[in-house]
Amino acid sequence: MATTAGHAPADQHSPQPEQKQHMNASLMAMLLFIGSEVMLFASLFTAYFFIRYGVSNETWPPLKQDGKPFELPVLLTGVNTLILISSSFTLWWGEKRLAAGDNKGLIRGLWVTILMGATFLLVQLNEYAHLGFTPQDRAFSGAFYTLTGFHGAHVLVGLIVLSLCLRRAYRNDFSHAYNTPLTAGSYYWHFVDIVWVLLFFLVYVI
Amino acid sequence: MATHAPAPVHAPGGGPGGHAHHEDPRPVSYWWARAALGTVAGVLFAFLLTFLLRALFGFEPLYDGGVYGGVAGLTGAMGFLWGIGCFDYWLGWAKGMDISEEDHSFHGVSNWKQYFRVNTDHKVIGLQYLGMTLFFMLWGGLMALLIRTELAAPGQQIADGETYNGFLSMHATLMIFVFAVPVFGGIANYVLPIMLGAKDMAFPRLNALSFWFLPVAGFMFLASMFTGMFGAAWTAYPPLASQGTMGQTLFELGVQFAGASSIATAINFLATIVTMRAPGMTIWRMPILAWATGVTSVLAVFATPFIAGSQFLTLFDRVMGTNFFVPDQGGDVIMYQHIFWFYSHPAVYIMLLPGFGIISEVIATFARKPLFGYRAMAFSMVAIAVLGFGVWAHHMFVSGMAAWLRVPMMITTIIIAVPTGVKMWSWLATLWQGKIHMKTPMLWALGFLFTFLMGGLSGVFLGIVPADIQMSDTYFVTAHLHYVLYGGSVYSIFAGLYYWFPKMTGKMYNERLGQWHFWLTFIGTQVTFFPMHWQGLQGMPRRVADYDPRFETVNSIETVGSYMLGIATIIFFYNVIVSWKSGPKAPWNPWRGKTLEWMVSSPPPLFNFDAVPQVVGGPYQYGIPDARHAVVFAPEQFGGELKEDTRYPVLVVANETLTSQTLINEIRSRNGDGLWSFQFVVPVGDGDRVIAERRLATTLAILAEAGVSATGRVAGGDVVAVATEAAEEISPHELVIATLPLAESEWMRRDSVDKVRKATGVALSHVIVSANDARALAGTSALPLVMVVATEAVGAEALATAVRARADAEPARFTVVAPLDLPDPRWGADASERRRAAGEAMTATINALVNTGVAVEGEVMDDAASVALPLAIDAFKPSLIIVAGINGEAAGLREAAEAAAGDTPVESVNLGAAAGA
Repeated sequence: MATTAGHAPADQHSPQPEQKQHMNASLMAMLLFIGSEVMLFASLFTAYFFIRYGVSNETWPPLKQDGKPFELPVLLTGVNTLILISSSFTLWWGEKRLAAGDNKGLIRGLWVTILMGATFLLVQLNEYAHLGFTPQDRAFSGAFYTLTGFHGAHVLVGLIVLSLCLRRAYRNDFSHAYNTPLTAGSYYWHFVDIVWVLLFFLVYVI
Repeated sequence: MATHAPAPVHAPGGGPGGHAHHEDPRPVSYWWARAALGTVAGVLFAFLLTFLLRALFGFEPLYDGGVYGGVAGLTGAMGFLWGIGCFDYWLGWAKGMDISEEDHSFHGVSNWKQYFRVNTDHKVIGLQYLGMTLFFMLWGGLMALLIRTELAAPGQQIADGETYNGFLSMHATLMIFVFAVPVFGGIANYVLPIMLGAKDMAFPRLNALSFWFLPVAGFMFLASMFTGMFGAAWTAYPPLASQGTMGQTLFELGVQFAGASSIATAINFLATIVTMRAPGMTIWRMPILAWATGVTSVLAVFATPFIAGSQFLTLFDRVMGTNFFVPDQGGDVIMYQHIFWFYSHPAVYIMLLPGFGIISEVIATFARKPLFGYRAMAFSMVAIAVLGFGVWAHHMFVSGMAAWLRVPMMITTIIIAVPTGVKMWSWLATLWQGKIHMKTPMLWALGFLFTFLMGGLSGVFLGIVPADIQMSDTYFVTAHLHYVLYGGSVYSIFAGLYYWFPKMTGKMYNERLGQWHFWLTFIGTQVTFFPMHWQGLQGMPRRVADYDPRFETVNSIETVGSYMLGIATIIFFYNVIVSWKSGPKAPWNPWRGKTLEWMVSSPPPLFNFDAVPQVVGGPYQYGIPDARHAVVFAPEQFGGELKEDTRYPVLVVANETLTSQTLINEIRSRNGDGLWSFQFVVPVGDGDRVIAERRLATTLAILAEAGVSATGRVAGGDVVAVATEAAEEISPHELVIATLPLAESEWMRRDSVDKVRKATGVALSHVIVSANDARALAGTSALPLVMVVATEAVGAEALATAVRARADAEPARFTVVAPLDLPDPRWGADASERRRAAGEAMTATINALVNTGVAVEGEVMDDAASVALPLAIDAFKPSLIIVAGINGEAAGLREAAEAAAGDTPVESVNLGAAAGA
């Protein structure tokens, strides 16, 4: 007969888990969700690679409808990439300040991150307007817009998530002991950043 | 069908834990009105947005129906989901409302209408899933019957080619995306948290949202019937998928919602399995269904986004005019196939692996044996999932893809048969030498083993490239896929539905109808799909509405088979509906299972457990005495002190079957749950009370020896009256009635078991004990053995009286030994005659004793006492020897007994003057 776990709580909270080290369920869920998003981007990258290296025997970069080759503003986007990478660092810095008990530092970090993310999006939108080709141009352009467009949508979602975190930070909801929503949000933002670095490298640079 | 506990778990105004449990007061009609509003608003918003964007950017034509429809489908769906209430909590939180995490206002139902509302209780969500997926299954089945009706003869019967393509596309799409994949989610949603000892899933609100994605997806598919059914099959290859009616767009959108449902549910399951297991439940003590669900969830999380990607691409080609699949613009249709099949092959494992888990549960429980090779079963499922990611191109051997890919994919495809084979052998090994109970769930499991095996074998053929080149896109593939999906997925679904039906509904299904359902389905499956193997090899292609007349006979046979399947399915639904409404009440544990879901009421209380259970062993310890999987704490009253040894009463009604091994074992195995105390009541009718008292005393002594807490009394009167009165007195949680078989049982002849069931309204288990078992010696070493040594006294009434008196003084079992000291030759006429006479006398004595409730055996021995007694004592190892004699003849026996006895005490009894036999 087992010994009585006499302290088994009679309330309705989830019971203590079996092992001692347990990732928080919400963080685990966010990581799994990010996993599924990684696979979504993988499918889009697959499409891109089929178009690039596929059987159509295109020259690279391919030719637009008007016969001129596609041109991508690598330099400007490179600067934009640096902005996005820096925003990851500012977010990380904000989280460190929170761990040290400095809520104001967190708020500052979040603001800078959000503003840099918004800048990134605006530069991308501006780039869309000046690219000189539409998604309907060729398969390559469709893949390009789909990849960057999906990424932009994820940046937008990430900005919304960070803004909600910012609002909660203003209400002093977070502390060293409790910061799960913030951590989950930062996981998401770092994921968005890493996907962009990959995208920039594979699509713009190579 | 409320999911509230019989005894309320929450006291009004704040139960333990201090939060109020109030139900949301808004009626179900409010939510549906909002949902309608949201859908309309979403559609209008889509029209507005699309119009503005098209006007702004100068797209021509301004009113492209496909585009408007596509956007409207998406935003209308989101509007519906908002309206029905999926996002209320999160939006409220975002707006800054004071939302409590422990707000249970959407938890549990109190009437059937509330199943049509957003609910956070995993049990409610599970039933919502089952209701919805079975509804779509009926539609998919209807499509199948339409297909088979068209194919009954060559030439057009009921539909032209376009419509027929619609039938077959709709059939597969409904069956795969909104039946086979989510139905396991529904079963696991209900059962898994209870199995793990948890109060709910990790994310109940996300769980609710996951469910509501499903009707959105399914009704989008069905809505295509009004806009022109999509006809590109469930595989939706471009360029065919880039053309066609609005129905195709609805397909593409519906798949997205079904996929989102799948991914969200999978994340929920993984978080629950990893973080919410009861204390003591290591991953090697989880029920195997938890492993199956976990592995399937990993597949769903990582594979499903690929089909989402593929459908985005075709959607953009259709709606946005991109050129992903237009070859002269740089597009590539093979690309679609790769992306599509990268999900769709793991998808078939998503449809199979949970079924494997269900079959493992059912086989272990109904064979009363631990699952063979638990760790191998777990690892093989992981192997299937991992390998499953590497075989997708076996669907594309004849597509014109890169030729170098074919052989590697062939190799991986053959390899994946190995872990599946490990599972098949393990199931067989579990059945081997088990005690098999052929109830309906077990029938489905056995049918699964046969049918899925055949499907797997045809799959190995298809995995070989040269064979596949011949058989691809023929009926051979159709045969294979239906054998594995019908025999594999559907049979395991039915096994699970029947197995957990009592738990979910609190009622028992009708076993006869269940058997009819199984056999009709099994035969129908073989008749419908077996000939397709031959048909495919003979060259009939698949997905065709018309065919060469030489295939007419085989097609018409298959159509008949498909109608059999249809009738069988009707029987199933009839059984479910009628049993749910008015079937007999189900006990907590009708199958004597050991996993945690059987340790709570049927249906379970609102939050499953009154307190967190403690897991102390593996989940399949059948046949191991006193093995426990978990300890479930039973508080005296809700809110009271938790006591480990509080038990609910079980009333046991028996008379002639009291001392039988069957009944003793039944009680002992129930005692293993740790939840029950047993009260016996013995109705003697007009019979002898003394005999009944004797039997009861023996039984209670045996049970006490086995550590079972049991008490009892004998009662005069008719069994129905006695049982009803006792039930009223102690309010048992279950009633066990033990009777002899129908031919020998007075109670059964008078229909008493059913009468007791109706009169008491308590869940009743009927134990049938064979006549031999009722008379035989029960509880082998539980009672002390008294050896009675007699020769002349055997057959005398006085001996029987003396033994009875002994039995009444102290419960024991007896062996009567008569050493005859036969003269030589022992085969001679004289010796044979004496042996025969002694045998008759012994039989008479034994019968006289057994009929009056004494547990006794007898043996006649040829030798003299001095030789026979040492043998007998060595064989029986009695704890007491009584020498019984008439007048003085006991003295000689006593000497021999004392000489042979060693430490065993010897008594002697003088039975007075000789009496007749």
